[in-house]
Amino acid sequence: MRRLLIGLLLLATAAAHAGRPCEERPLAVGDVERGMHLAEAARQRLDASGAQVVMIGRVGQDLSQYGLHYSHLGFAYRDSEASAWRVVHKLNDCGRAEASLYRQGLGEFFLDRMQRYEAGIVVLAPDAQQKLLPLLRDNQRVTQWHTPAYSMLAYPWATRYQQSNQWALETLAGALEPAAGTRRQAQAWLQLHDYRPTTLRLGPLTRLGARMTRANIAFDDHPNDKRFSDRIETVSVDSVFAWLQRSGLGAATLAVY
Amino acid sequence: MNVLRKLTLCAALTAGIVPASQAQSSISEASALSLLPVAVSVAAPVMIFSAGVTLSVVTVEASATGMVVVLERASDGALATLRFSGQVAGAASLAVGSAVLVTAVSTGWVLSAAGQALAFIPNQIGAALLYNERITR
Repeated sequence: MRRLLIGLLLLATAAAHAGRPCEERPLAVGDVERGMHLAEAARQRLDASGAQVVMIGRVGQDLSQYGLHYSHLGFAYRDSEASAWRVVHKLNDCGRAEASLYRQGLGEFFLDRMQRYEAGIVVLAPDAQQKLLPLLRDNQRVTQWHTPAYSMLAYPWATRYQQSNQWALETLAGALEPAAGTRRQAQAWLQLHDYRPTTLRLGPLTRLGARMTRANIAFDDHPNDKRFSDRIETVSVDSVFAWLQRSGLGAATLAVY
Repeated sequence: MNVLRKLTLCAALTAGIVPASQAQSSISEASALSLLPVAVSVAAPVMIFSAGVTLSVVTVEASATGMVVVLERASDGALATLRFSGQVAGAASLAVGSAVLVTAVSTGWVLSAAGQALAFIPNQIGAALLYNERITR
């Protein structure tokens, strides 16, 4: 009985932490210096590329245990009016179960606590750039494949949740295929074009811990047969970069430091 | 005060704030509160923002449109006025009477206390790299 009570107390504590507010720790001076330096290095590389639209990834956390390098993905496009690059990406607000789209500078994109100050840039094929550029400038169109409900490990072939990399991937599909006006249709197009998500091996204890302590992780969109065999599929930056190159939709990844 | 030279930096900034993420351990990242105020305009004597200079916060005035902070250089009393736009989270750190250190970087100047960045003043290179617009609510 006592053990049960302790167990319940632990669960209650964990649940109370779900959706906790953001950590309000200021950036260190070095974070600002390195983040802005990387932003400027990325700008120079983007200017030199001659591209109008690229996909850009950052290394916000150490994912080497999953065999992954980049952690977060967005589109960068050249804003000719401002003579600057803008990044459009999806961010989860303060660990809550929802996320929003932002248009930011390269500075904001890297002014964060990066695991490594490194950017990965994939120049998209000219046709893809041409189709994406007007879309990324248009606040209505760019939200067409956006779902606010957020899970960090959202299943790639479901629409209940959507994580940041998945938003970028589905938006790319929607831009390329005029018939893919919905998330479901964009996902069908991605399957047809052989996009392959990353499969993570997450055991039941890891899943339970994540679900109990994080408002922004859920597993109920994953099919039972995969979930209960510990296979969690989701959209990683590395899987998107590999698919872009394999499909001819993008060039090899340029690393910028 | 009559030696103040008005510089307008990064007028293109709409929000002037920068997100910082909390530590996450998954393969898609979250973001957090906007913590680092970015100055959208500066009125200051030339060279007041030199590396290693310590400034003290004289006044902090918040308004509906943003915040104005006046800083003073201890050595000669020279003043600098910084304007921040929008809601500036983390600006509470810029308390009247507190001392801030100026660090020069290639993209501007970082104001800090105890190694923690309190505000960023972009130069022309830095200003071109900063923009913040929330597309969806």
